[in-house]
Amino acid sequence: MDAASFLFVAFGLAVALISNCSRSRLWRSAVLLLASICFLGFLAHNPIVFLPLAGFLLLGYAGILLLERGWSGTFVASLSAILLAYVWLKKYTFLPEGFFIHSPYFTLGLSYIFFRVLHLLIETKDLNEKRRIGFGAYLLYALNFTTLVSGPIQRYDEFAKDQFADEPIALGARTVGLQLERIIRGFFKVNVLAMLFNLVREDALAQLAQPLPLSLKLFAAFKLAVVYPLFLYANFSGYIDIVIALARLMRLRLPENFDRPFSATSFIDFWNRWHITLSTWLKTYAYNPLLIVLMRRISSPALQPLLGVFSFFVTFFLIGVWHGRTSVFIVFGVLQGGGVAVNKLWQLGMTRALGRKAYKAIAGNLIYASFSRGLNYIWFAFTLFWFWASWKQIDQVFSALSVTAWIGVWATAWLAATLVLALWEWLRAALLSIQTAEGPVLTSRYARVVYASTLGLAALVITVLLNQPAPDIVYKAF
Amino acid sequence: MTQFDSSAFENDKERKLPRRDWILLPLLSLATICLLAGSVELLARRMLTESRPFIAACMEPLDSKDGLRAIPNSTCRDKKYESNWVEYEFNSCGHRAGMECGPKAPGTYRIVLIGSSFPMGHSTQREKTFAALLPIALSRQTGRNIELYNQAMIGENLHLTALRMNETLALKPDMILWAIDPVDINRENISEVFNPQTDSTSIFDNFWFRFNADIHSKSFSSAISDLWKRVLRHLQDTRSAVLLQRVMYKSRSQYLKSSLAGDDSDFMRIPANAQYQMELQNFDKDAAEVARQAKSANLPLVVTLLPVRAQAALISMGDWPADIDPYRLNNDMRAIVTRHGGTYVDILPDYRSITNPEQGFLPIDGHPNADGHATIARFLTKELTSGAVPALKVTAQPAVSEQGQ
Repeated sequence: MDAASFLFVAFGLAVALISNCSRSRLWRSAVLLLASICFLGFLAHNPIVFLPLAGFLLLGYAGILLLERGWSGTFVASLSAILLAYVWLKKYTFLPEGFFIHSPYFTLGLSYIFFRVLHLLIETKDLNEKRRIGFGAYLLYALNFTTLVSGPIQRYDEFAKDQFADEPIALGARTVGLQLERIIRGFFKVNVLAMLFNLVREDALAQLAQPLPLSLKLFAAFKLAVVYPLFLYANFSGYIDIVIALARLMRLRLPENFDRPFSATSFIDFWNRWHITLSTWLKTYAYNPLLIVLMRRISSPALQPLLGVFSFFVTFFLIGVWHGRTSVFIVFGVLQGGGVAVNKLWQLGMTRALGRKAYKAIAGNLIYASFSRGLNYIWFAFTLFWFWASWKQIDQVFSALSVTAWIGVWATAWLAATLVLALWEWLRAALLSIQTAEGPVLTSRYARVVYASTLGLAALVITVLLNQPAPDIVYKAF
Repeated sequence: MTQFDSSAFENDKERKLPRRDWILLPLLSLATICLLAGSVELLARRMLTESRPFIAACMEPLDSKDGLRAIPNSTCRDKKYESNWVEYEFNSCGHRAGMECGPKAPGTYRIVLIGSSFPMGHSTQREKTFAALLPIALSRQTGRNIELYNQAMIGENLHLTALRMNETLALKPDMILWAIDPVDINRENISEVFNPQTDSTSIFDNFWFRFNADIHSKSFSSAISDLWKRVLRHLQDTRSAVLLQRVMYKSRSQYLKSSLAGDDSDFMRIPANAQYQMELQNFDKDAAEVARQAKSANLPLVVTLLPVRAQAALISMGDWPADIDPYRLNNDMRAIVTRHGGTYVDILPDYRSITNPEQGFLPIDGHPNADGHATIARFLTKELTSGAVPALKVTAQPAVSEQGQ
């Protein structure tokens, strides 16, 4: 149930169907709450394992209640308590081993609950007008089964606007068709595309460890270098497609989490398109406050641009560190933060050297944009080694070839990514340019029905015939 | 053409779908599915060909007590999707022995090989099977004139092997080599797979007849589950499915995932399930009977386990999931065979020395191909001449390496 399986989709569709039996908000909320509890029940059968999660939720709600009652002095204490509880329950390795609970307990989705609870705490403190969040509404928001496992991280006001509206948002045949098509697309991405990309990665990893001729090893290294971002995108965005569509069928709009990330021509732009709700959350609650504090303390105009660079580094370092509990993720964070910071420095340097207009013209140049797109892809692919691999695997992978060979592999990968992504952009634009009076043919409902049927059949046949469980969603581990 | 545009649905008011689309869109979906499925199947049929009616043309009508037997002095050709044309020639005793059924030549050390389709060399030309390669290698290494009479028969389960021991002894062997593969252990109903008459009933009749029988003898959920398994088996037999598996199983990790998810890998699972334990008890009885008869004839009985594709791949990788042990059946069999006084020859650890042993098997069918047979012959030669069988012992051992393949 915690994967993009037939069972999960069937469960979501059944809940959507029941939810639409009445338009009353009480009914829809009751159905969502019951479905979310059932969902948790499917994931773990022993109620005891939920106690730490229940404690975490109660701690968060207590903090919110105190703030709602005007005890703003408790904010820092509540925030610290939530942060500590999160680090403790997630068993971050910098804490002593004896400090942890050693009996098994449920932590799936804890990171996403953590973001939602922190958001509520901060918003409750900052909100000028008084707002009361009932415990039921809080639980619904925190445990909504469509966002529990891997997000997206929705703001409370957006959730409440749809969930508690007297008149829920419309759900006609067109919307239903569109959501069904999106579910099929998501299912295909996770169960077919991601599965295939993962096979390439696993086989390449095994080949690198074997005594093979250099040419085969170089090819394996190339595949290993380029394939993981595609796998991760298909796996994560496919799951997000499914949950957004299921939620929409329950008349609930979830925020988008991806916007064609590999079309980005810079690393900063990339993070505006990849895991959007996470980067937006951190920009709101880490980047902006940090930049404001720094600008207040350091007033030198010459240093102002560098403060932005520093804030970028810290924000994206935190994004990296959030992904895991071990030291590998610190490097991942440094590489994310470093990538964004260097990107910002490059933009500043180029603007200073060439002038804003000239730099903008260069950045818009087709060849420059294509190479930038390729570089962005390859940098992200490189950083992901510290995302999926352990130190032991990283050592095995990078010691399988000489430094020169690896440089050659990454240079080739950059060139290949540049060409393939440029070709993809051109093809997409060309296909979308085939239009009738009402818009592109490719996005018409007739075309969508054809490709949804094709993807659905392929996904069904492959899933059934290969006789294997649905692949795990990578981001559920965080 | 009306558009499906996400932004359009942000508005509370949604345009109605034209009435014709309620008919047109499902029809379009159906047409797409039919066209796609049909064209892929046609393409697969052009790409993958197999003969009819396979090796079954050489088989006597199935006797439920006596199992499958080849028609004496028959010859037939067979082609699987994955293999080339293979000729099966059976001697006057109905064995693919590569020699006539009769007494051995003077001064010859005769090994009689017993077992099922793996040792028989299903889907491989006889001269490339390990049954043909092994005596050549053994003769070369021991300096003795060694011949191997292959009595193995497709579809023969362990119990039938025990029942046919009198025929084995009649061949006057100097040694009996019993080559078992894990499929022999967990094969439930061999007759359904190899019965030449199975094809004669229609798919629908087959489904309905079996479901109707199941519903009266089993619980409803078991009957439905069995029906689903039969549907799945028929789906897997479509040429599209074979093509898909053929492409997907080129990836070792995919092959392993699919294999380990199915019942066929239960013999490697930890802890063992009840079915496996029952099968092992059955093997214990059959091994006791075979060993008793060999002992009474004063013949050495040598038993070996031939690995299946997934097992060989796992051993080569040296890494497997926590609930899997590729040596499990090997260890259990060794304990049983040695307890009954037989000699167990263990070739599984030798698979650690080769990098991609899975390439020695037909990916879907699962039988060893010519490379796989060559590997088995090499490993058996090494183990048989290392002292396990005193009559075949040689003092200096050549190294087993991949170059030798």
